[in-house]
Amino acid sequence: MNLLLAEDDALLADALQQQLAKAAFQVEWAENGAVAEYLLRKQDFDIAILDLGLPMVDGLTVLKRVREAGRTLPILVLTALDALEHRVAGLQAGADDYLTKPFDFSELEARLHALLRRGRPASQTQQLRRLSLDRAARRASIGGEPLDLSPREWTLLDLLLAERDRVVTKQQIVQAWGADEGGGSIEVYIHRLRKKLEGSGLAVRTVRGLGYLLEATATP
Amino acid sequence: MSKPAGRSLHRQLLLWLLLPQIVLWLVAAFGAYRLASRHADELVDASLLQAARALARQIKPTASGLFVDLPRSAQDILAADPEDRVMYMVSSPPGQLLLGDARMPAPPQSAAAAEVGEPVFFDATVPEPMRVVSLDLQLGAAGTPASALRVQIARSTAPREQLARRMLLDTALPLSLLIALMSMGVWAGIRKGLEPLAELQRQMEGRRADALDPIQLQAAPPEVRALAGAVNELMGQVQQSLDTQRRFISDAAHQLRTPLAGLKSQTELALDAVNGAADPALRQRLERVHESAVRSARLVSQLLVLARAEPEAVAAQGWAAVDCDRLVREVAADWVPRALAAGCDLGVDIVTEGLRVQGVELLLREALVNLIDNAVRYAGAGATLTVRLRRAGEDVWMDVEDSGPGLAPALREHAFERFVRGATTGDGCGLGLAIVREIAERHGGHAQLLPAAPQGCIARLTLPLEAPARPA
Repeated sequence: MNLLLAEDDALLADALQQQLAKAAFQVEWAENGAVAEYLLRKQDFDIAILDLGLPMVDGLTVLKRVREAGRTLPILVLTALDALEHRVAGLQAGADDYLTKPFDFSELEARLHALLRRGRPASQTQQLRRLSLDRAARRASIGGEPLDLSPREWTLLDLLLAERDRVVTKQQIVQAWGADEGGGSIEVYIHRLRKKLEGSGLAVRTVRGLGYLLEATATP
Repeated sequence: MSKPAGRSLHRQLLLWLLLPQIVLWLVAAFGAYRLASRHADELVDASLLQAARALARQIKPTASGLFVDLPRSAQDILAADPEDRVMYMVSSPPGQLLLGDARMPAPPQSAAAAEVGEPVFFDATVPEPMRVVSLDLQLGAAGTPASALRVQIARSTAPREQLARRMLLDTALPLSLLIALMSMGVWAGIRKGLEPLAELQRQMEGRRADALDPIQLQAAPPEVRALAGAVNELMGQVQQSLDTQRRFISDAAHQLRTPLAGLKSQTELALDAVNGAADPALRQRLERVHESAVRSARLVSQLLVLARAEPEAVAAQGWAAVDCDRLVREVAADWVPRALAAGCDLGVDIVTEGLRVQGVELLLREALVNLIDNAVRYAGAGATLTVRLRRAGEDVWMDVEDSGPGLAPALREHAFERFVRGATTGDGCGLGLAIVREIAERHGGHAQLLPAAPQGCIARLTLPLEAPARPA
């Protein structure tokens, strides 16, 4: 995964380069806005991290010019300034996400992956713990054992997996179901899905008053 | 100016204007009295002398002695006024009663040597106070032996004093009236003159402690306008330096973010590198460095939030109706993964739906985040956290209830002060609850910590309801 890191603070850039490399990114570092703009125009990156406070050409200008040049790669903006105004300005200029410094690397990594996921259709097959999902065939299996899922159950599992470790609300579930046939309440389907996921290393947690969340269990 | 403690300007002016007037009035009254009594004396003396001379003319020397021809008219003069006690004495040689009243006193020794024909005036008491004129004469026709003669006439001083008193009264009364009128005028004048100062005082007293807007004085005299202008200028300077300071804090905090992000990332990296391999003491040290970096980063963020919650900053941000349901659901959903990672079961309980408040959503969100963050931090693993939203009268309660160990009553109020931390460990910076309180107060509400049953703590954010909610 090719990534452009445009950050002028050497200490931060150094640490990020190492961390990103560990997370399997191939990192190109630009230490000022001019270099960042040049690289973004000339090379194909899968994703870019752009600091707004860059020397030479500031991040916002780089962002605008790159978008004007027709580049559509996902760009995550880093800012040392207060989130609100810059978020609006950044998003208007064509940023896909933003993060305020300082941040946890895990958070940055999660957002990068989310942006990359968003950028292309969900992968056809997904493996998590012992669960495998084949989206084309709308089929799931645990450790090779096929799971017998109704359309609604399958959609529910697909949604929970796509949003794993995040809360999925009941409205989201109802929306996802759309025209899926079936009757009964969400609780009933959750109950059934829980039973079917036993032994998969994954569990559906009820978040009181909010919805559900798919998490990995302590024992895989 | 050199006086350390100022007296009332009003009283000072009154004193300085009225005191000299009263002194002047007293001097004038005294002077008038003296003048009046001198004139009265002169008048009385002149009439006494006239009477004495008239009497003396009636005394004629004869061969055998003296012949006094006191006609009716003279007697009338001497007895002019029955109230007016008059007495006379003719003596020859002086002191030897010839005619009249023997009680007549002799002139004082100092006057005894008076030349012949010169009148001597003096006061005596016989038995009442009297004014006396004594006139020594040498009588003697050619050839006869000269004989010394003294004519004395005395008159009571009572009428003279009466006259003087009347004259005094006649001048003093209108003068007093004038003084009284003038004092009232002066008092009213001072009052009117000092009115702009009183207005200034009212304006200053009625101000909030943090109000730095200029004083408004309409049609004030130049002196007061200059004073108000100076105060306004000073307040402008204070405002400016306050703004500069705020900007500086904000800039400094922003500038600190990048190096702190670098520090944090570097220590994360170092921690990964030493994982397992290195000696545990080194790892522990590294963990402390990382903890400290995380805390500093958090402190900087919190300081910025606090700066945003300043009244001026709040005024500059968007004030709008905020949907509490959505706010609570979004913030809580956002926090569920972090709460789970910390071993806390976070849930939401919307008791009353459709509640709205007026405010800055960003700040309210920040307040709720701080309450949840606090609960996750201090309730500990295994705790149940519930964000509860309900209506209480005309207020909205946003409660974050935890089943943690709770907080000692003494710490509950204390906890809202800046830089007070509930625990000595962890990466809390002690600003979370101070921020919550600041934001609550900015929105006309308040924040408090309450004990939960059977154990734990409720952090409650009370905000005034925007408008009566639709019946649920």
